[in-house]
Amino acid sequence: MWNRKKSNFLLITEIFFSFLVLFGVMSLVIYNYLNYTKPLGYDYENVWHISLRPNSDSTAQNRLVQEQLLQRIRGFQQVEAASYSNSNVPFAFSQMGMSLSYGNAKDVQTNAFDAQDDLKDVLRLQVREGRWFGPQDDASTHKPVVINGMLKQKLFGEEDALGKLIPVDDSTHYKVVGVMDYYRAYSEYDADAPAYFSRINLQENNNHLWGSLLLRVKPGTGVAFEEKMMKELSGIAKDWTMEVATLETMRQSKVRLTLVPMIALGLVCGFLIFNVALGLFGVLWYNINKRTSEIGLRRAMGATAGQIYKQFLGEILVVTTFGLLLGCFFAGQFPLLGVFELSPEVYVTAILIAVALIYILVISCALYPSRQAAAIHPATALHEE
Amino acid sequence: MITLKNIEKVYQTKSIETVALQNVNLTVPQGEFLSIMGPSGCGKSTLLNIMGLLDVPSSGTVEIGGKLITSYKDKELAHLRNEKIGFVFQSYHLIQDLSVLDNVELPLLYRPHVSAADRRKRAQVALEKVGLSSRTGHYPSQLSGGQRQRVAIARALIGMPEIILADEPTGNLDSVMGEEIMQILLDLNRQEFTTIVMVTHDEQMAQKTERLVRFFDGQQVSDAKLYDFQKA
Repeated sequence: MWNRKKSNFLLITEIFFSFLVLFGVMSLVIYNYLNYTKPLGYDYENVWHISLRPNSDSTAQNRLVQEQLLQRIRGFQQVEAASYSNSNVPFAFSQMGMSLSYGNAKDVQTNAFDAQDDLKDVLRLQVREGRWFGPQDDASTHKPVVINGMLKQKLFGEEDALGKLIPVDDSTHYKVVGVMDYYRAYSEYDADAPAYFSRINLQENNNHLWGSLLLRVKPGTGVAFEEKMMKELSGIAKDWTMEVATLETMRQSKVRLTLVPMIALGLVCGFLIFNVALGLFGVLWYNINKRTSEIGLRRAMGATAGQIYKQFLGEILVVTTFGLLLGCFFAGQFPLLGVFELSPEVYVTAILIAVALIYILVISCALYPSRQAAAIHPATALHEE
Repeated sequence: MITLKNIEKVYQTKSIETVALQNVNLTVPQGEFLSIMGPSGCGKSTLLNIMGLLDVPSSGTVEIGGKLITSYKDKELAHLRNEKIGFVFQSYHLIQDLSVLDNVELPLLYRPHVSAADRRKRAQVALEKVGLSSRTGHYPSQLSGGQRQRVAIARALIGMPEIILADEPTGNLDSVMGEEIMQILLDLNRQEFTTIVMVTHDEQMAQKTERLVRFFDGQQVSDAKLYDFQKA
């Protein structure tokens, strides 16, 4: 087989590129899957999001309306808790970021969220160390923040984070009052990125209007209440634009955004692999037809049908192994160089799965032609040349 | 020794039944050089395939070295072919991708107990016997017809078989090359006591063998002893 350099080279090239495509798709799938299996850090069920846009420029009037809206919402029996927030609520398309530094940890890109004290109850956030915001923070010199585990690790490593002051500018510091395990706001398929919450104090932030309101409703609360609530809220905020959506609906939109390209890519990859399989099958079939006389000769020289079968299967497996070794060499650079900053676990798993899939594909394509080769009658094969 | 008893070979398609061999009874003693002649389509190659265990008769029995092989399974037949029989074909049947040395080694690949070094050594010895020791690295396409046939003979004798079956070994060669190949086969038979069964169309070549059997329409029509090499 070593002397059939040209046809082996073509097969090796085909397998090499198939492997790379599979490796790419598998890396994406595994990356998303591993993220999906991690906790979000909050409970989105029965949580509604109201986006708020005042249409007048009167800040004082708008602030008053903002407070009235919150009071009214909290007054509904069906609402368990409500909190203002920036527009980057869970599953929103809006994001806000900050670059934080502490000691040797420089410029850690961090997702920034603003929350009232009640957000803990709205999203059922679990604080692992320290506490969530509360009235005791009203008199705090430094702005209190609750950080997630990833930010703690990036800024403080193994050190205790509670009470630490994170510089924001020359005169402002964030004081860490609590640490929560996870907070992955944007999508179930997003990586666990550094994040922190800073406290909204409506009395303190006099000139700020908050674009989003999150509320937890009692289970089973439906459209009828939504209509009633929106009608009443429209009565309070007459010239405001308000839209309501459940976090579940927003989650589904985000899921589609991730899954649709992944499925499309999977289909393209599947089509490609199908073509590769057809190509492989054709090449193997052609090789066997071309080598009928050799098969007859080998049988005459003492090869059993089983040995012919193993020979053809073995040859394609050896060629495949060469293609895969070349592919693994290139794919191996991804975890070594930390490409796209993905965990090596993603790449290594993708390599292993792609290798297994290519072997399965090749064996599936080679089984039938090899069996046919083994079944060739030696006398007929020798007569054919 | 090869013994064929009441051999019949019938090729059957949906509509046609072709009788290739009919009532063939033939014994080839150990060390004999037998030639088989007959017009095209008379069943010579079919007979050789049956003797070489490449094909099975429709009825009748085949014995090799006194062992009845009718009930042998594929694995046993392959083992017997490898150990006892060497083949030489009219069209050489060399593998084009393999060097001369690799082609000659081929039968020993199916003997697991023979090491790679031993295979190489024995292939070189076999090539020396046919006068081709200087061409070991060449490929079949780089050789003349006569040289290719000599490679095929080296391949047939590397496993030291008791029997060599040659199907028109000089059929594709000119008379000079044909003579050379015939001489190699005669030497093999006389010096190493190898049983040779040769199918040929060439009367002159056949007359050099010990015994000549003629076939016509699948039947054995004559059997003549020409020489006794052992006594000569």
